[in-house]
Amino acid sequence: MKLFPKILASLLGALLVSSAEAKLNVVATTWDFGAIAQEIGGDKINLAVLGKPTEDPHFVDAKPSYIVKLNRADALIEGGAELEVGWLPPLLEGARNTKLDVGKPGRILCSEGVHLLEVPSALDRSQGDIHAAGNPHFMSDPMNGKIAAEHIANAFCQLDPTSCDYFKANLKKFDDDLDAKMAEWQKMLAPYQGKQVVSYHNYWIYFAQRFGLPMDLYLEPKPGIPPTPAHLAEVITKMKAENIKVIVVQPYQNRKTAETVAGHTGAAVVDFPSFPSGSGETKTYLDWIDFLVKSVVKGFEEKKS
Amino acid sequence: MTEALDVMKWPLLACLLLPGLLVYLGLHIVRREIIFVDLALAQVAALGTCLAILLHFEPLTWQSYAFSLGFTLVGAAIFTLTRTQKHHVPQEALIGIVYVVAAALGILLLSGSPEGNEELRRTLIGDVLLVSPHQVGRTFALYVAVAVVHFIFRKKFLALSFEAEKAEARGLSVRWWDFLFYALFGWVVTSFVQIGGVLLVFSYLIVPAVCANFLASQLRWLLLIGWLTATISSMVGLFASYRLDLPTGAAIVCALGAALILTIIAAKLRDKMKKT
Repeated sequence: MKLFPKILASLLGALLVSSAEAKLNVVATTWDFGAIAQEIGGDKINLAVLGKPTEDPHFVDAKPSYIVKLNRADALIEGGAELEVGWLPPLLEGARNTKLDVGKPGRILCSEGVHLLEVPSALDRSQGDIHAAGNPHFMSDPMNGKIAAEHIANAFCQLDPTSCDYFKANLKKFDDDLDAKMAEWQKMLAPYQGKQVVSYHNYWIYFAQRFGLPMDLYLEPKPGIPPTPAHLAEVITKMKAENIKVIVVQPYQNRKTAETVAGHTGAAVVDFPSFPSGSGETKTYLDWIDFLVKSVVKGFEEKKS
Repeated sequence: MTEALDVMKWPLLACLLLPGLLVYLGLHIVRREIIFVDLALAQVAALGTCLAILLHFEPLTWQSYAFSLGFTLVGAAIFTLTRTQKHHVPQEALIGIVYVVAAALGILLLSGSPEGNEELRRTLIGDVLLVSPHQVGRTFALYVAVAVVHFIFRKKFLALSFEAEKAEARGLSVRWWDFLFYALFGWVVTSFVQIGGVLLVFSYLIVPAVCANFLASQLRWLLLIGWLTATISSMVGLFASYRLDLPTGAAIVCALGAALILTIIAAKLRDKMKKT
């Protein structure tokens, strides 16, 4: 009678070991990288994303499970360029996972090879919350999404060579889909070239540059500094003078501020999620960009007259 | 279990070693009826950090530390001078005013500096989960030093908190010892705020002391019950945080809150037993 539990235990053990070996444990800092990793890795990876899609990527609140996940991870996908500088290093210190050391194949740095915008010529605190390495919110340009996808696929190939063909095939599909969509998006936004869009924080410059929509008017007087009355008055005047009709807001920003400004200027307030969400309307990376493009077009349409 | 210990090792050490002194100081604070003085001093210290940032010193350098310490001393001086015994204005009111004005000044100063915003957030919330071994060691060393000072002069400090009028009558220089008390207290609080944030430091100071006062009146028993409450609640909070994946500081605060409820029930039951 003792044999049965033993067999069961060894079977279970074998199952656990084999599934643990077969799948890469992948941790992504934010959902844009996570969504792409899921598409490249498919069912060959176990994905965990640390930040919530609605959370400010500069401030992620640490929980014990984050350390456990990092401790067990085979790969960590991060944006770099100081995006996670406020919260990732102490988590990694707690996780003590040498596979994730800088320079190891398990540490995937997506900003590598990305042409970062707004690299400051001199670091000066008085200019607001600026990043020495440049603006780290580069994933809103689909072309940078492609760079990230390539980094991720290469790293996965190194970590699990037997599945490399699978990863490469997924990468090709991702790139092809993106190229097809890209043409579509550019067509949709073509009528609005050069039209100014107001945003709360300096977050969307990569999106703006790619699609030819200037987005350099912000509700914040300087990045990271809450809107002041005088600055908002200035923005309102400018919006009226230049007939600017769209304001985009991210989930963790104060929608009320945007609505107040919209009330004065007759502009549309458009929700701009900062990340894909892994489910629903903005499930994948392409869904997310698609949502952004369609939302901004809708905003322009609404206020056309 | 080993993994839990691995992840929670430093938070656990911080929550077992450091509250010892906080509980003792909490007994003073509760007896002096100046419950919110820790929040006020922490806020004043944060104001010092804000000013340091505004003067372009990086946060977490010795310069910004010196600023926050300097401001703490100023706060200590203010509370020393406002300790009024026969007055219509309770000291708690002045403490509250210092707290809100310091907070508002901080906001004004920071309106020009985004880095400070992060710093202010850090002081308010803290993150005991991510405490570094270096921080635990440094803070523990400071606490041992302060505890030694308190032990050497225990008669004077205890007299001031527990029987202030008698102390004055005996000719004790109340102002000087009060200042020393507040200065040390401010330093202790500010250091722990860096680790655990304002919520946690307040809870460690007040909850064990209140629990102890429900059950005992002799200092020896007050201390023992306070330490037990802090230790057990820390362990329960950390364990719950790990098992249920909750934010660590908040879990400990809630465990302390639960400990207080249990203590009140125990005290009520005891009183009933005594009556019958």
